[in-house]
Amino acid sequence: MGVSDLTKDGPAKVFMLCNEAIVRGAVEADVKVVSAYPGSPTSEILDSFSSVANHFDISMEISSNEKVALETCAGASMAGLRSMTSMKSVGLNVASDSFFSLSYTGVKGGMVIVVADDPQAHSSQTEQDGRPYAPSAYIPMLEPSDADEAYRMSRAAFGISEKHGAPVMLHTSTRVNHQSGMVKMGKVARTPFRRVRWDHPPGRFVTVADSARSFKASLLERTKRIEEDFAKSEFNVVSGEDSDIGMIASGAGYNYAFDATRILGIHPAVLKLGTTYPLPKGLIAEFISNLSTLMVVEELSPYLETQITAIAKDANPQLRIFGKASGHLSEALEYNPNIITEAFAKVLGLKLPVDYARILRRAKELKRGLPERWPTFCPGCPHRATLHALRQAMKGRKHVLATDIGCYSMSFLPPVEYGDTLLSMGACMGVAAGIQYAIEEKVIAMIGDSTFYHAGLPGLVNAVHHEDDLTLVILDNEVTAMTGQQPNPGSDITAGMKPAKRLVLENVVRGFGIEDLTIVDPYDIEVATSKMSEALSRKGPNVIISRRACALHSDRQKRRRGEEIVPNTVDETACQRPYACVREFNCPAISIDDDSRKAQIAQELCDGCGVCARLCPFDSIKKTREGERG
Amino acid sequence: MTVKEFNILMCGVGGQGLVMLSKVIGDACARAGIRAITGEQHGLSQRSGSINIHLRIGEQIRSPLIPVGGADVILALEALEALRCVEYLRDDGIVIMNSRVQHPVWETESHVKDEKAKSFSAEDVKTRLLRVTDKVAALNALDIAKSVGNPLTENIVMLGALSTLEDLWVPEGAVVEAIRINVPKKAIDVNLRALKLGKGAAHSDLCNVVKCKE
Repeated sequence: MGVSDLTKDGPAKVFMLCNEAIVRGAVEADVKVVSAYPGSPTSEILDSFSSVANHFDISMEISSNEKVALETCAGASMAGLRSMTSMKSVGLNVASDSFFSLSYTGVKGGMVIVVADDPQAHSSQTEQDGRPYAPSAYIPMLEPSDADEAYRMSRAAFGISEKHGAPVMLHTSTRVNHQSGMVKMGKVARTPFRRVRWDHPPGRFVTVADSARSFKASLLERTKRIEEDFAKSEFNVVSGEDSDIGMIASGAGYNYAFDATRILGIHPAVLKLGTTYPLPKGLIAEFISNLSTLMVVEELSPYLETQITAIAKDANPQLRIFGKASGHLSEALEYNPNIITEAFAKVLGLKLPVDYARILRRAKELKRGLPERWPTFCPGCPHRATLHALRQAMKGRKHVLATDIGCYSMSFLPPVEYGDTLLSMGACMGVAAGIQYAIEEKVIAMIGDSTFYHAGLPGLVNAVHHEDDLTLVILDNEVTAMTGQQPNPGSDITAGMKPAKRLVLENVVRGFGIEDLTIVDPYDIEVATSKMSEALSRKGPNVIISRRACALHSDRQKRRRGEEIVPNTVDETACQRPYACVREFNCPAISIDDDSRKAQIAQELCDGCGVCARLCPFDSIKKTREGERG
Repeated sequence: MTVKEFNILMCGVGGQGLVMLSKVIGDACARAGIRAITGEQHGLSQRSGSINIHLRIGEQIRSPLIPVGGADVILALEALEALRCVEYLRDDGIVIMNSRVQHPVWETESHVKDEKAKSFSAEDVKTRLLRVTDKVAALNALDIAKSVGNPLTENIVMLGALSTLEDLWVPEGAVVEAIRINVPKKAIDVNLRALKLGKGAAHSDLCNVVKCKE
């Protein structure tokens, strides 16, 4: 799958990632404005839109944060154009202020908000369940289970939104977003992009006091109408046998539940829910009315289960409901086919066809002594050098490091194990401000450039205004690295490689009133260490910018330009085994030979950054080809 | 086309091209009219972390994740990762592993602290896997990839070996076509050579323990 499939004229059957399928659905629905901030597991939605934005004449922004992205789409849809934004569930926390108000004002053009949970917190700070936002804000919600359904829901959501004048939430989770499968694409029939007339009376989208109260009354009516529509929706499917045992499932949970029934050879009646707010209560009541046993499968909170239990009180008080409340399933971690198979087997008193516990025990035994491989910084990553310099600069001085969200978050993992707090995007400065009131030692806050523009600005304003004694280290690597090196406000391009105005970080920082500003290049590690040491000895607030492009990003650019990447190598005759290249540096390209006990550099991994060469006191690390110092 | 269900657990280290590999196989299946789904891993571990991708072939399958004990094949692009995902292998399943080891930074750190510490080797991995199945084949995909002129084609070398399996009913033509479509234009030839040499390596290292296509 690639750009060619997204732009292909349908109908066609194509193997594609769910995130690409969501984009295809929106393209077929004639979406005109797209704005998003990247975040796993939604980043490929932004990337795919970015790759076709010019082709389909979509106005697109890679926003500074989710709130701005949502508001950008809101504005376009108020005017009458179709829009889409996407964000991870914790991103909706940032956007939520406007999310709630937007439900009140409504929209004219269809607006779809993709919100993705990350059960298991694969790449998130929490396992937040995004679904409860829908009932809290009275925003209708659709939940697909696979790529084809995501494509169909994405396409249909714009019509639902326009019909009811409400933004629609398309809710997914990691194992839906990052699933590829066959998608039966339809035709692309795009209309030319044209500006519309703002034809609303004054105050149409103003919600406060009197107008808020009136909006509230009409959104309650709106929700009733949507529920009536959802009772007939093609996205709620009853299947399976006419059995007194039933199953209700949605999203990723449905996939595991479906496979569990096959593994166990059971044939329950199945209700797959695709419209999960407002719930089609009548349909559920009818489905459960003749059952004796019901299993509810959904990841994270018992969002469906609680409501189904309430419906059962009237519809079928004798019904035995199994799920989280019964203790068969957990509210923690993501599910998989064996977890659901075991739960079903326990509920129904069946024997497991495969002894999962035995296999897991045996695997644990077999893996004894296998070295862990936690995610770590790439070879050449400037963060590795910055963290090394920071540690050396603070050697012997007790301090607390408040970190933030980005690749540098990984610094707390072994073997680096550096960093004390991490809450959410932009939180490092607020937390550091609080810590400096509470302790005697030095307090350092650390944030990446993209996160700084996302939610770090108010923290810095606050620290300057209150003259908080903290040092802020900004890791400026030119891109939003962790999610796939997307451009950010510090880049000179945006979506679709279109030129954009580059913000100059030092000007922003100085503009906020920071007078004590130090800029270092982490690759120049000796100088960076001593300059940082000096800056960290001064009273805050002050700022250190550690500037060097993301290695993945710059290596890719080098390859594009045809520039050679020359790795480094260890001169074994010079190596005296001080291990300065390993200690507190931990580059995955460097290992230690079992016999000679000397460092060796994997040529196909090394990106030639040369920082390890600078750390070596015996000058034993050289460029592989020119034979010069790295 | 209805084919026997077939589950492949692909694992390796971030940066080895696992996502591309799963795209190529999935695309090849789609071209041959075979239904396939994948459960992929994107995001945090862009480089140097453990990665696994579940690829499932079959009309009825819905879960993108293979159940524990459900993989017909583990295709490991890095040796240590083959052992790390051993719980997915079904009894008597097949392991096709790259003999290349990428030493985790954690292991290197322990070598600094303990001068007697030994690395976990591809041989250690193989010995342990042989306690679960006798169908273990190791090939040096990195060397083969280097020999065709691009170490990044390691993933396609492994695909070459995988494609020889009799139970993997994906036609040769569809695999070649999927490679042509998915890899950068200037890298098509080198990848097709990698595919061919991967197959060749399988015939000497794999087909003596499992049934291969003619």
